Amino acid sequence: MNAFKPLLRSLSSLRLTVVLFALSIVLILAGTLAQTEQGVWMVVERYFRSLFVLIPFQLFVPAKVLGIPGVFPFPGGLTLGVLLFVNLLAAHAVRFTLSWKRAGMIATHAGVLLLLVGEFVTGAFAKEGNMTIAEGQSANYIEDTRTSELAIIDRSDPADDLVVVVPASLLAESAQAPIASGMMPFAVRVVEWMPNARVLGPMQASKLQLARATVGTGTQVAAVAVDVATGVDGADIDTPAAYIELLHDGTSLGTYMVSPRLNAPQTVVVGAKRYDIALRFERNYRSYTVSLLDFKHDRFVGTETARNFSSLVRLSDPTERVDREVLISMNNPLRYAGETFYQASFAPDDSGTVLQVVRNPGWMLPYFSCALVALGLLVHFGARLSSSVRRKIA
Amino acid sequence: MKKLAHWFPALVALCVVAFVSLVLVRGFDEGDLSRAMPLEGIARIPVSAGGRTKPLDTFARNTLLRLSGRQTCEIDGGTHPAIEWILELWTNPKLAAERRVFRIDHPDVRSLLALSDATRTRFSWMEISPKLDEVVRQAELASQIPRKKQDPFQRQISDLYGKLAEYAEVQSLRTPYTVAPLAAGEEWAPLMGADPRAKPLDTVSAQAFRGMLASYATGDSADFTRRVAGYRALLESKAEEGNLGNGSSASSFEVIMSRCEPFYQASLLYLFAFLLGCVAMLASPISPDRWKPSLLRSALIVIAIAFVLHTVGLVARIYLQGRPPVTNLYSSAVFIGWVCIPLALAGEWFARIGVLAMAASLIGFASLVVAHNLSASGDTMEMMQAVLDSNFWLATHVVVVTVGYSATFLAGFIAIFYVLGGVFTRLLRGDAMKALPKMIYGVICFAAFASFVGTVLGGIWADQSWGRFWGWDPKENGAALIVLWNLLILHARWGGMIRERGVAALAIAGNVVTAWSWFGTNMLGVGLHSYGFMDSAVFALVTFCIVQLALMSVAFVPLARWRSLAAR
Repeated sequence: MNAFKPLLRSLSSLRLTVVLFALSIVLILAGTLAQTEQGVWMVVERYFRSLFVLIPFQLFVPAKVLGIPGVFPFPGGLTLGVLLFVNLLAAHAVRFTLSWKRAGMIATHAGVLLLLVGEFVTGAFAKEGNMTIAEGQSANYIEDTRTSELAIIDRSDPADDLVVVVPASLLAESAQAPIASGMMPFAVRVVEWMPNARVLGPMQASKLQLARATVGTGTQVAAVAVDVATGVDGADIDTPAAYIELLHDGTSLGTYMVSPRLNAPQTVVVGAKRYDIALRFERNYRSYTVSLLDFKHDRFVGTETARNFSSLVRLSDPTERVDREVLISMNNPLRYAGETFYQASFAPDDSGTVLQVVRNPGWMLPYFSCALVALGLLVHFGARLSSSVRRKIA
Repeated sequence: MKKLAHWFPALVALCVVAFVSLVLVRGFDEGDLSRAMPLEGIARIPVSAGGRTKPLDTFARNTLLRLSGRQTCEIDGGTHPAIEWILELWTNPKLAAERRVFRIDHPDVRSLLALSDATRTRFSWMEISPKLDEVVRQAELASQIPRKKQDPFQRQISDLYGKLAEYAEVQSLRTPYTVAPLAAGEEWAPLMGADPRAKPLDTVSAQAFRGMLASYATGDSADFTRRVAGYRALLESKAEEGNLGNGSSASSFEVIMSRCEPFYQASLLYLFAFLLGCVAMLASPISPDRWKPSLLRSALIVIAIAFVLHTVGLVARIYLQGRPPVTNLYSSAVFIGWVCIPLALAGEWFARIGVLAMAASLIGFASLVVAHNLSASGDTMEMMQAVLDSNFWLATHVVVVTVGYSATFLAGFIAIFYVLGGVFTRLLRGDAMKALPKMIYGVICFAAFASFVGTVLGGIWADQSWGRFWGWDPKENGAALIVLWNLLILHARWGGMIRERGVAALAIAGNVVTAWSWFGTNMLGVGLHSYGFMDSAVFALVTFCIVQLALMSVAFVPLARWRSLAAR
């Protein structure tokens, strides 16, 4: 017990608090600057939800002023968050006693602890995805726009499709060696993988670009790589594309271009059997179905600025006996089955809606946290202020 | 002299009130009687542009501001209001084409257009039009590069192309929408459609608008006045059916406001108050009991009057827009200054040392200058994107977080006065040297509270809108930095790691943190290798930060060398 006390005391030190604040400030600044080059999700994983991060010196100086190579190691957000959490708990264990005078500070710090817990729960358990539905259509899956997969679909069974998926991470890594598996009807050799791509139409693409694919849609439209979306652009979706050669028993079935930007799957014939292939965002299927009845997108008169947009949808879940109409609009989400559906965006020409679907078990925590901190600070600073005003008047 | 010192504040108050009254009078009548054609009426006629119903006067000002960087136009050596320019553009395009309304700064763009006159930065349509094809070609080349990677020349040429297109749009009356809805279900419409062969609109308001322009062209002022009055009466009577709301009276009010320019007048008064404060400080060794308090009182009175004007402008915007005070970067600048004034005056009430009044007037002036520079892009009351369309969150999150920015700046500015006054002068001896650090500390406590609550409220708004309490995007991180910086100062003080001087030094660094979060995060989007139109803003930000760090380093002069701490 005696050996434990000095440790607790040093863990509770205000000096440690200040150092952790300073380190957090540097980390957040670096994580913000990093978003000029990288997407926000990659930065969140590398900087804010990691144990440590290697920060390039170059981040802090514009390259045109001075080129500096090298990186320095730095504690990541997870490390700093846990240390702040421990520091705060230890401080209360060592120093604080329950009294009215301390009540404000205790409430405030409890709120801060809750905020840290909330961010941890979000990082560990929250799932986000998109539901893109065209008007008159329905969807029973959520797309994770941060990961994609190459789906090989066997539709020969009229009851159920048989789908084999190759995760994008595998496609991105295997440059030359073909990807093969007993479950796949053919091997896939990645000719080129593009983390973010634009699709050029028949009029835009050059002959050379169109010649990269030998069969399928890629002979009419071409994919070209573009820079990944960076955090400062405000965009957070990269749409990948790939040129892949399919091989069956050592002979080539042709080179295809695949991308989630293509509307329909492409057909591959192997012997007598037909398969559909598509590179698509990873799908997570649900027991419920959302059908888009009507999508409205009003603009301010004479402008392209969105005034509001809303989706009238039918939510049906036979297992739960649910079948009802819901209007989802900006700032008015639908909450169902632990998930929340937000009006996020719209398909080109207003032909459909994009709903953001979020499952976050910790979503309520920041609300409690905010209330606790605000109340605590009001009590604490309010008491101080009123006493100095009283002194001034007296 | 004794009497003068006694009455000086009253005298200053009188002069300032007279100045303000003159401005107000000008707002209601802009020398209309001396003109060949009366513009008073037509200036107030509502039109629709950018989705907002606004007076023609505002549209003309904003258009001219975007094209030329000014709200007035030089015609035959005289300065003329924007409304006169736009009417000329519509009734006598040939003459209007000779007006120098296109601002071109980049020397390469000027030489490309063979505009060799180095003494000017504004050029006319006539001067540019021979090279129109070249502008289009260059703009097309530039458009293939993403905006943030364009070099300054490419940006300028793209901007010029945009300006020429806007000019053509306005001249052909496709913008603004001038045909007012007079019945339920009707919408604002342009007098001319996109297709020049289509039959022009022939509604009652279209006819009336055409009639006014035709009458203006003939120069028959009696007929013009009659037509304008008739059209205004018509709009008034159909306000309900056409869903024009209080468009007509709001229109008049807006015209008066743009003429009075309350923020501009307030900024002049803040500067004046600051100078009075400086003189008071200079006077303090000579006449510490008579002139110093007298001048300080004068400064406080001027600040109070400026604050009234500042408030009038702010309330006018709230009324016209139907929104809480902060809706964009421009209004955040106006609001930051506005919040600092009462905070500082409250501090002045605690300890009458004059420094807070000076800090307040300086922030008031600086924030309005910043706002003025942010207004060059045109309408400062543009419509809100759908996701931001929530008065509740604009009124809570945005206001509270902006108050947090204000308080952090205020703490920083008081700290500057503390450090400069303490190190280089003997003005802060005794009480002031004790009171100022307490002020700084108190303001930082408030800043920590407001910025924390405001930031968390922003997270809650984000959770309501797209289900993500915290996304680590640049703007959110900027807010988090301010919160953490304030918390760092407070905890360092509570832990005894820093004292008065340390708090002041860190508070000055807080100015850098706040400026970065306010502007720096917006500049990141432009990319770190090429700044175009933001060049000057980036330069200003970097300069500001360097100056702050220099001031901060002054705080580390050994305490024994602080003149205010030296033995008497």
